[in-house]
Amino acid sequence: MSYTPPDAEAFIARVAADPCCAAITAEENLGAAIVSRAPVVFILRGNGLAVAHDVRRIHDAGKLVAVHVDLVGGLRADRSSVAWLAKSGVDAVISSHGQLMSAIRHEGMTAILRLLLVRRSQLDTAVAAIGRSAPDIVEILPGVILPSVIGLLPPFDVPVLAGGFVRTQADVGAALSAGALGITTSSQALWGFGDN
Amino acid sequence: MTTDAAPGRLPAVLIASDGRHPVYAPPGLDAGVLVRDTDLAALVHRAASDCPPLAVDLDSVAGLGSDDAAVDFVTGRLGIRAVLTRRPQLAARVAARGHLGLVHVFGYDSTGMVRSLESHPRKMGIGSVLSPALVIVHLRSDELADLPRPIVAYGLIDDVGDARACMALADAIVVRPAIAAKLAAELEASLVPG
Repeated sequence: MSYTPPDAEAFIARVAADPCCAAITAEENLGAAIVSRAPVVFILRGNGLAVAHDVRRIHDAGKLVAVHVDLVGGLRADRSSVAWLAKSGVDAVISSHGQLMSAIRHEGMTAILRLLLVRRSQLDTAVAAIGRSAPDIVEILPGVILPSVIGLLPPFDVPVLAGGFVRTQADVGAALSAGALGITTSSQALWGFGDN
Repeated sequence: MTTDAAPGRLPAVLIASDGRHPVYAPPGLDAGVLVRDTDLAALVHRAASDCPPLAVDLDSVAGLGSDDAAVDFVTGRLGIRAVLTRRPQLAARVAARGHLGLVHVFGYDSTGMVRSLESHPRKMGIGSVLSPALVIVHLRSDELADLPRPIVAYGLIDDVGDARACMALADAIVVRPAIAAKLAAELEASLVPG
């Protein structure tokens, strides 16, 4: 039986309702994410060729799944791997490659562009990439500094996830107050924190 | 050429410049110039001027290779004391020449930073460039202790408050000339009696 992921609007609404998402950087964290209140599990490591089993477990727990196609093993970040993840039942795909956003959307999944904040001189270029690739969501790293740098970013009209070094409830509150839709964190104590 | 001597210390502030215009450290501020995002001709011109750079971001100089010959050129011919690079082996060569090598460490998330540090040579004369700078105030003490010093906090410092916060933890920070001027003015004001 084929699986139809939620559309981007529904994915975004799910995060908005429960903003603290679980970021999995090791296989052994999956069980904790599944029993947590986090609405979405972001798979940032592991074997992309064997992800379908984990996706089913996460779906069975009533959660959505996003996979970082650049970081999981076994996959090259291209259109074919995006199609592979769609067949595996993934709901959203994250990548730093803007040119993959259209392929992700074409497969019916939510397209998340990862934006790495490094230097002020690169911000305009980064935000221009958002305009060109038209992702459904932008994930900004390191998310913990989002409150400090949000004023430096040229305006763009795409929901933002804050990820990276978000470790405390205060960090979560600051990121959400700065305008983030949600946060991604590997800190298990925060998974599901702040759900409405 | 190798040496066991420790390289000279970094100033507390590195003022970022593209090398196309003269940039001077404000009086009273412990500062030097970092040339980055430029080209080879501008770097050579600035090195021969009356405000030569103290440091260079090797990988951001158009026309300049990221190899041993480039390291030898900037540390030898141009006399630049500190070299920032993504390549650990080049930082090691800088240190072997008696200068300060600084390896870029990207602090986007905790897992990525650990991976970024795995290739750090961890030898005397080789420090770290942590980007973006502001993340330094969010590191746990063990994460900060794991960064080989000297630590240069680099990127997205946009006001004096952020600069001060980063200076408290890093050995040096990178700022734009306008922020350096504000730091100098603040310092000068603090020295005025009464």
